[in-house]
Amino acid sequence: MIEHFHSIISNVSSTISKYETELKKPVIGVMPAYFPMELIDAAGGYPVQLWGNNLPIQRSDTYLQSYCCSVARSVLELEMKGGANMVKAYAFTSICDTLINLREIYRRLFQKPTFELSIPSTQTEQARRNYLKNIIDTVTKGLESVTGKKITQNSLKDASAIYARSRELQRKLYELRQTKPGVIKNYDFYAVLKAGFFLPRSIYNDMLEGLIRQLEKLPAPSAKRPKILMSGMVFDPIEAYKIFDELEIHIVDDDFANGWRTASKTAFNYKDIYEGVTQYLFQPAPCCCVYNPDLDRHEYLIKKVKTSGAQGVIFWYIKFCEPDAFDRPQLIGRLKKEGIPSVTIEIELSMTNFDPVKTRINAFCEMLEG
Amino acid sequence: MTEFKSISKMKEIMTEYYIEAKTTKVKPIAWLTSGAPVDFVNAMDIIPIYPENYAAMCAASHQSVELMEIAEREGFSQDICAYARTDFGADISQGGPIQGLPKPDMLIASTNICKTVTKWYQVIARKYNVPLFVVDTPFLHDGMTNELVDYTVKQFKDLEKFLADFTKRPFDDDRLEQIIILGLEASTWWKKMLSLGKTIPSPFNSLDTFIHLAPIVVLRGTQKCVDYYKMLYEEVAELAEKKIGSIPDEKYRVLWDNLPIWFKMRRNSAFFQEKKCALVAATYSNSWGGLDAFELDTDDPYRGLAQSYLGAYINIGFEDRIRYLSKLIKEFSLTGFIMHSNRSCKPYSVGMYRLQEEVTKLTGKPGVVIEADQNDPRVYSEAQVETRLEAFIESMESIN
Ligand code: SF4
Ligand code: SF4
Repeated sequence: MIEHFHSIISNVSSTISKYETELKKPVIGVMPAYFPMELIDAAGGYPVQLWGNNLPIQRSDTYLQSYCCSVARSVLELEMKGGANMVKAYAFTSICDTLINLREIYRRLFQKPTFELSIPSTQTEQARRNYLKNIIDTVTKGLESVTGKKITQNSLKDASAIYARSRELQRKLYELRQTKPGVIKNYDFYAVLKAGFFLPRSIYNDMLEGLIRQLEKLPAPSAKRPKILMSGMVFDPIEAYKIFDELEIHIVDDDFANGWRTASKTAFNYKDIYEGVTQYLFQPAPCCCVYNPDLDRHEYLIKKVKTSGAQGVIFWYIKFCEPDAFDRPQLIGRLKKEGIPSVTIEIELSMTNFDPVKTRINAFCEMLEG
Repeated sequence: MTEFKSISKMKEIMTEYYIEAKTTKVKPIAWLTSGAPVDFVNAMDIIPIYPENYAAMCAASHQSVELMEIAEREGFSQDICAYARTDFGADISQGGPIQGLPKPDMLIASTNICKTVTKWYQVIARKYNVPLFVVDTPFLHDGMTNELVDYTVKQFKDLEKFLADFTKRPFDDDRLEQIIILGLEASTWWKKMLSLGKTIPSPFNSLDTFIHLAPIVVLRGTQKCVDYYKMLYEEVAELAEKKIGSIPDEKYRVLWDNLPIWFKMRRNSAFFQEKKCALVAATYSNSWGGLDAFELDTDDPYRGLAQSYLGAYINIGFEDRIRYLSKLIKEFSLTGFIMHSNRSCKPYSVGMYRLQEEVTKLTGKPGVVIEADQNDPRVYSEAQVETRLEAFIESMESIN
C-alpha cells in the first residue's frame, strides 16, 4: 500500500501525464503556498504542486542568485530544463518577496499564463475585503480562460467537498501518528503527504482511506527515542526522513506550511467565494508568511508541542527563507522559557549528503534523552 | 564625491532632528519603513524614526559588522536583510553613531519596499510590545490600477483613525494637507535637482544623491526640508550652468540600480572617478517622489499620495521597470548601466539578470550586474566587483 505512494513521488511526470490524458484537464502548476486548489479544480483544471524537488541547480542560476532559496531555484530549474512541459499555467501566491519576483521572471521567460493570489497584509477589514474580491475575480477569470470552463457554485461545491475530505483524511493520519507514534514511518508519512501534490484528489483520497484503515488496525509500537515536533516552510526533502527512521525518532506533529498549516484548513466555503478564500488564507494555523495579527505563532506552537507530547522542536530551515528566519529567534526564546528545547537545521533542497544533518539530529535527541 | 556647500546644512538639520528625537519627553515616537506614509504621522506631531536610515549610517561609518554580529549571536540568521540585522544589533547594544534609536511607541510599515519589513517590524512590535500598523501596498504586477489605489486610500483612512486613537486627539486634516503640499514641494526640488544629471558633464554624482536623500526620507513634509532641497538645487544648478562636472573629463555616464554599498562609498567614488565614469542616475534616489515611474493624480491628494507610495520603483513589475530604465538611459544620455545584485534586498535584486538582458537588448547599451550587499562587508569581494566593473567600463562607448 505505502509503496504505491512512494512510486507516485518517484514517477511524478508519468503520473501527471497519465491523469492529464485520462481526465482531459489542463495541468495547472501551483507555487507555494496556500493557493486554494478548490478554485482550480472548480474551474476544471488539474492542480499539481511541482515545487520541493531536489534537482541539482544547473540552469536556473542564470536568473536566480545563490542567495535565493532552493524552493524557488529548484522550481525554476524544473521549468527551464523542460521538466514541467505538461503545465499549462502557473498559480502563485504572494507569500514572500522571492516569489513575487519569481512570477515576474516567469512572465518574461515563458509563454505560460501566470496568476497571483495576492495575500493582503492589512488588518483593515473593509480594505481587505474589497481588494481581495478584486483579486479573486482576476484569478478566477484567468483560470477560466485557461480551462475554458466557468467556476459555478456547483463546481465549487464539489471541489470543496473533495478537498475537505482530503484534508480531513490527512488530519486523521496526523492523529494516528500522534496517538500511536511509529505506526507509520516518518519517511512514509511525508511521502503520503507529498503524493497529494501530484495525484487527482479523488484518487488520492481513496488511497489515503485505504491506508488509514490499515493503520488503524495496527497496534502502537513502543516508542524508544524522543518524540519531536518539526517546524518550517516545507517538509522536503523527503529523503531526509530516512534519517529519522534510522535513528528511531518519532515525529509526532509538525508546523510545516505544506504540512499541518495546510492540512488543518477546514472546508472551503463554496457559498461565498470571498469568505472561502479569506478563511482559507488566514485560518486556522498562523504562518510566518501570512500577516495576521489575530493569531500568535508563539502561543500556537507552545500549545501544539504540549498537546502532541513532543519533547523538543526541530526548526527545519530552508536556507535564505527570510520570513521563516525573522520569526525564529524570538520563537526559540519563548520555547526556552517554557522549557522546550529546540534545534535549527539548515536545509537546501538539492542536498545529497545528509550525514551532517543526521549528526545534528542525533545529538539533539541524545540531549533530550539526557 | 562632490563636496557641496549644502552638505553642512544637511548635517545641521539631520543633527537637529536626531537630537529632538533622542531627547523629546512629550512627543511620541513612531518607527517607520522608508516607504511608509509619514505624512499622517507628521500631521499628528509624532516624531518619525527610520531604522533603515540609521542602519545605513551605521554601515557608512563602518560599524555595521560589529552590530550585525551582535544580532547574529542572538540567533538572527545571516540570511536576513542586513539593514534589519544592523538595527537589531544597534537596538540590543544601543550602539551605532547615536547610541541606538529612541524607543518606539508605535510602528508603521509599508510593503511597497518589501514584504520583509512586515517581518522585521513584527519582531520589534513583540520586543517592545507596541502597536504595529501595516499599510499594504501590493506589488504592481500590472501597473497602477484603481483597485490598488482604492485599497491604499482606505488604509490611509484607517491609519488616521489609528493615530487619532493613539494620540486621543481627532485626526488633523488641515495639517495633513499642509504637510502633503510641503512634501510635494520638497520632492519637486529634489526632482529638479536629479534632472540636472542630464547635463553633460553631470554636476553631481549619484553617490552624492545617496547621501543627500536623507532629509527627503526623514524630514519630508517640513519647511526645513523644502528649504534644504531648494538650496541644494540652486547650488547644483549653478554648477550645471557653468558646466562644472562632478568628475573631471567625464567620459562615461551610467545609471546605478539598487541601494548603494554604504560601506564602500569613498572607495567606489574614487574608483569611478579614476575611470572617468560618472554615475548620473539612480533608481534608488529617484524614489521618494523624485523621478517617478508613473504620473500622479494631482486632483485628489489622497489618491495622489497612494499612487506615489504604490509606484515606488522597487514595487513595480518588470515590464514597467524595463520601460523606466530604458527611459532614463535615453533621457540622461547614458553609455551603460550598473545593477547591484544586493544579497540583502531580494525585491530589488531577484530577476535582475533578466532585466539586464532585456534592457541591453532594448537600448543597445551595455549593462553589468555586480554581486554585493548594501551593509555587510563580509559578503563583499572588492577584487571581484572591481574586475567586473573594469571590464564593463571598457565595453562602453564613451560620450565623445
Ligand atoms: S521557502 Fe521561504 S523564501 Fe523560499 S519561496 Fe518559500 S517562503 Fe519564499
Ligand atoms: S534593503 Fe530591501 S529587503 Fe531590506 S528593508 Fe530595504 S527594501 Fe526591504
